[in-house]
Amino acid sequence: MRPPSIDPLELHAYVDGELTSEQQAELLDALRDDSALAKQACQLQRLKQQLQIAYRDPPPPSRRRHTPRRHWRQRVAILLLLLSSGLTGWLLHPPIYTDRLVLLDADGRGQQPAVADQNETRIVFHLTNPDQLVAAELLTDIEQLLTTYRARGSRLRVEVVSHGGGMDLLRQRLSRHQQRIAQLANDYPNLTFVACRNTIDRLRVEQGIELQLIPQAFITESGVSHVVTRQRQGWAYIRV
Amino acid sequence: MTPRELFQHLTRHHRLRSAISAEHGRLYRLAWSWCHDRGLAEDLAQETLTRALEQLDVLRDEARLRLWITTIMVNLYRDQFRRQRPHDPLDEHLLSEQESPEQDLNRNQLIKRTRQALAALSPDQRQIVSLIDLAEFSYADAAAILDIPVGTVMSRLARARGRLRQQLEQDGIQRSQVVPLRRVT
Repeated sequence: MRPPSIDPLELHAYVDGELTSEQQAELLDALRDDSALAKQACQLQRLKQQLQIAYRDPPPPSRRRHTPRRHWRQRVAILLLLLSSGLTGWLLHPPIYTDRLVLLDADGRGQQPAVADQNETRIVFHLTNPDQLVAAELLTDIEQLLTTYRARGSRLRVEVVSHGGGMDLLRQRLSRHQQRIAQLANDYPNLTFVACRNTIDRLRVEQGIELQLIPQAFITESGVSHVVTRQRQGWAYIRV
Repeated sequence: MTPRELFQHLTRHHRLRSAISAEHGRLYRLAWSWCHDRGLAEDLAQETLTRALEQLDVLRDEARLRLWITTIMVNLYRDQFRRQRPHDPLDEHLLSEQESPEQDLNRNQLIKRTRQALAALSPDQRQIVSLIDLAEFSYADAAAILDIPVGTVMSRLARARGRLRQQLEQDGIQRSQVVPLRRVT
């Protein structure tokens, strides 16, 4: 007896593992009885494997970029900055942000954000990462927090302490987020950007760089001491 | 937002950022199969990652992260990247498995022919084949990503594979018709 006709789409579904076990059993019966059909199934399977081999190892990403949109060019500038700052493997090894956020309580223990008093939440973000994409995410997080608290009528104070590599965010020549910082600082008086003087001095002595900060940056003597003090005062500490 | 909510919000973001960053390789491979250009593919993958990071709160079901982020890339490709022409030759960076030179040659020829055949498909056909065969999405997921019915996924896939086979067979016939050069002594 001639086996029931098989819809060609069903053959594709079989190769792609889309059939139920009953459908699969039925099709396997048909394949056993129809060598032409079985050959087609083999060819489809082979084509699938051939494609997987051909695209298993594409050529590595190119640094040449050519998307003409303006907002993208700004992002390209961030990437170029990353490359020029010595992170040459970045394109080949995408950034993995594991352990980037460390949340401590007032005593530096546990994983709970601290509340300074009953009425006000205070958070200090300690930025040491030079990656401007990370800084962009941080600003997005902060804006979201500030907006949420404002909408609920809750009190919140936020400080961003830049230190070491994180200083790039506040440098006039390097920061890609000056406009955004100016806008945020203007909209939210409860947000403060703080730069570490030790980092500024070290750059001058070691690399001869006279660092120019953006106007919204306040200066503290030591970024590390500042965040330690804040934690003692009961601020939530988030390391970025 | 209570301190606990704040903590949950930040840790969720942290977890999602790590998961999104880990998608880079997969996204780049998929993007490259669509455009066959390293610069364009990297632009597309990076732009997708950036968009995903900006829209973290849109993602409700973390289990659907792969599907969600691929949908972002499909939309970006359709809206911004599709008209751009590739610059890279297709035989660039072929595999070398350090087998015998002859095995390397055969393997590389097969890879090059397969890539050429996929590149010759229409963008829609290329995309459906790559989503099913390379990214290994189910028909239902591919339908959700492309915003088309499952039936259309199946028929488009069948047509694309038919065209691929045709391309590869045609290429095989042309190659068999080439008379090999013989050394004359």
